Amino acid sequence: MAVALARKTLVHEWRRFLPAVMSVGFSGVLIIVQGALLLGIVGTNALPVTQSRADLWVGFPGTQSADLGRSIDAGAAAELLVDPRILRVEPLLLGSGDWRGPRGGGVSVTLIGIDTRPDGLGLAEAMPRSGRALLTEPATVLVDAADLDKLGTAIGGAAEINGQRVRVVGTTDGMRAMGGVNVVASLATVRALDRSLAAAGDVTYYLAALRSPGAARAVKARFSQSETRKRFEVWTAEDLAGRSVRYWLLESGAGVGFIFATIVALLVGTLITSQTLTAAVAASTPQYATLRAIGVPFPKLRRIVVEQAAWVGAVGLALGLAGSLLAAALAYLNGIPFALGPGIMALSGGLVLSVALLAGVLALRRLRHADPAALLR
Amino acid sequence: MTADVSLRAWGLEKSYVVQSIRTQALSGVSLALHPGELSLISGPSGCGKSTLLSLLSGLSRPDRGEVRALGTDLCALDDAARDAFRLVHCGFVFQGFNLFPALDALEQVQLVLDYCGIPHDVGRRAAARVLDMVGLGPRQHLRPAELSGGEKQRVAIARAIVKRPRLLFADEPTSALDSVNGAIVTDLLREIAHRSGTIVVCVSHDPRLIARADRVIEMEDGRLCRDSRGASRSGATETCP
Ligand SMILES: Nc1ncnc2c1ncn2[C@@H]1O[C@H](COP(=O)(O)OP(=O)(O)OP(=O)(O)O)[C@@H](O)[C@H]1O
Ligand SMILES: [Mg+2]
Repeated sequence: MAVALARKTLVHEWRRFLPAVMSVGFSGVLIIVQGALLLGIVGTNALPVTQSRADLWVGFPGTQSADLGRSIDAGAAAELLVDPRILRVEPLLLGSGDWRGPRGGGVSVTLIGIDTRPDGLGLAEAMPRSGRALLTEPATVLVDAADLDKLGTAIGGAAEINGQRVRVVGTTDGMRAMGGVNVVASLATVRALDRSLAAAGDVTYYLAALRSPGAARAVKARFSQSETRKRFEVWTAEDLAGRSVRYWLLESGAGVGFIFATIVALLVGTLITSQTLTAAVAASTPQYATLRAIGVPFPKLRRIVVEQAAWVGAVGLALGLAGSLLAAALAYLNGIPFALGPGIMALSGGLVLSVALLAGVLALRRLRHADPAALLR
Repeated sequence: MTADVSLRAWGLEKSYVVQSIRTQALSGVSLALHPGELSLISGPSGCGKSTLLSLLSGLSRPDRGEVRALGTDLCALDDAARDAFRLVHCGFVFQGFNLFPALDALEQVQLVLDYCGIPHDVGRRAAARVLDMVGLGPRQHLRPAELSGGEKQRVAIARAIVKRPRLLFADEPTSALDSVNGAIVTDLLREIAHRSGTIVVCVSHDPRLIARADRVIEMEDGRLCRDSRGASRSGATETCP
């Protein structure tokens, strides 16, 4: 192994490189935390989908986001069950209500009606089976543990939704939404509370479980023919969740804000990193010029600088990821939606490494000063 | 036919133009330098010594004239080819030691061999041997910050000679050193020339170096004006008009 000039210089003069490493790290944290928060917040609109265990979702054609579902005809269930690959189908209702607690004051809430059978698909991830069983009693609801304070209630507490008495019999986990409050009840209770759902036998979604989840795309394709598509549309769970997130990213303008802030973070990171690397190159100019004098070709010197930049990027990125994990832990402890997924980490990692390499390339200009003839004066 | 092992120059001219003021650094310099000799170029400040060194070593090109090193016409080579020539044949010692602060003495020397494509273990042994030769064997794991000026210059010399160059160029190698260290460095350069038959060209106005050189070439105003050999310097071949 050759003498690791780039790495040894980095270790020996770590104080010199610290600003660059920190700026790369901060850019990384900034991008990841912002992105994860944004995705977390926007992702709450897809909670009914992501917290359920259905393979396929069936809803109103052209629905752009899970929370914007409109009613479809109950007859769809029979049509779906014709396909032998579909194991069972259960309805899910979305309604709205006005919550009034004992302390008064209204909170507008989203009502989610689920099938209360023990192995139900709807919101299966958000509650234990026992929670589901509690909802079989009429006029009972679950609210999210993180929303108890906001609603001014507790388990066992009473409230009114749309003027009708309900009792809070338990809590859900991970159903905290950013905009409103999710209140979960049985299908019958939701129909009773939201009059617009009461009249028809219509449902907002049908959730389908398949005999083998691998068949999801094929089954979806079967029901995507034009004559059924007029009445309902079929999505895989990931489709509908992704569609909801994309819709709100664009619709809310938050996505644009994120892109703008990311560009600023990248610019500042590039600026500081390239300044640091340029200064480091400048400090080593006579040494580099000596190497040039003894015949080391210019591209080999370039490699030293680029390698240094890559190290700065890698160390900065590691710091950034550590910082982001810390932020994720804090967010988790505080019940803040924070979607720290591999996608956002890879995006930020890629961007931050490019920042470091771009900064390295900018610093290369300074290497032109390493003219060996200038050592002879 | 024997290979040409000398370093020759004919009619070298070099001028610099800075802010439309033209400085003639060299005018019509011709000389031949031979293996196994420590040749010293001296003269008043600004007379063109360093410029001559950079032309002889192929670091820059003359405006006119020709440099033929070991039978190769340096002026006819492009930049990459001159890099390649220097990588094989040229060593340099500068007034500033130009050592990498992060590397210890052994690594400074070994780095050169890395760039010459010599395997790690072989390079490491060669580097240690050369450091021994310049008297720094026991101090080979110290960094520049932990070495004295004289020791640093000896590391720089070790770095210059580790690849066994046929041409060694030194620009004021002793001017930053005290007399004891200056004498050590001078003896080293002399020994390198005599032992390995290297062409050693040294620019200096250090009288100790002048006294110990095999040949002294004196310059004035971009021209050679005296060329003398031997300890007595009796054989002056040319004098300024
Ligand atoms: N890169 C350059 N640009 C402009 N002028 C230069 C350059 N290099 C040398 N000169 C000029 O050429 C002349 C000779 O310079 P050179 O460096 O060869 O002198 P020197 O004999 O080495 O002097 P010293 O003993 O002070 O080092 C000087 O007048 C100097 O100003
Ligand atoms: Mg000079």
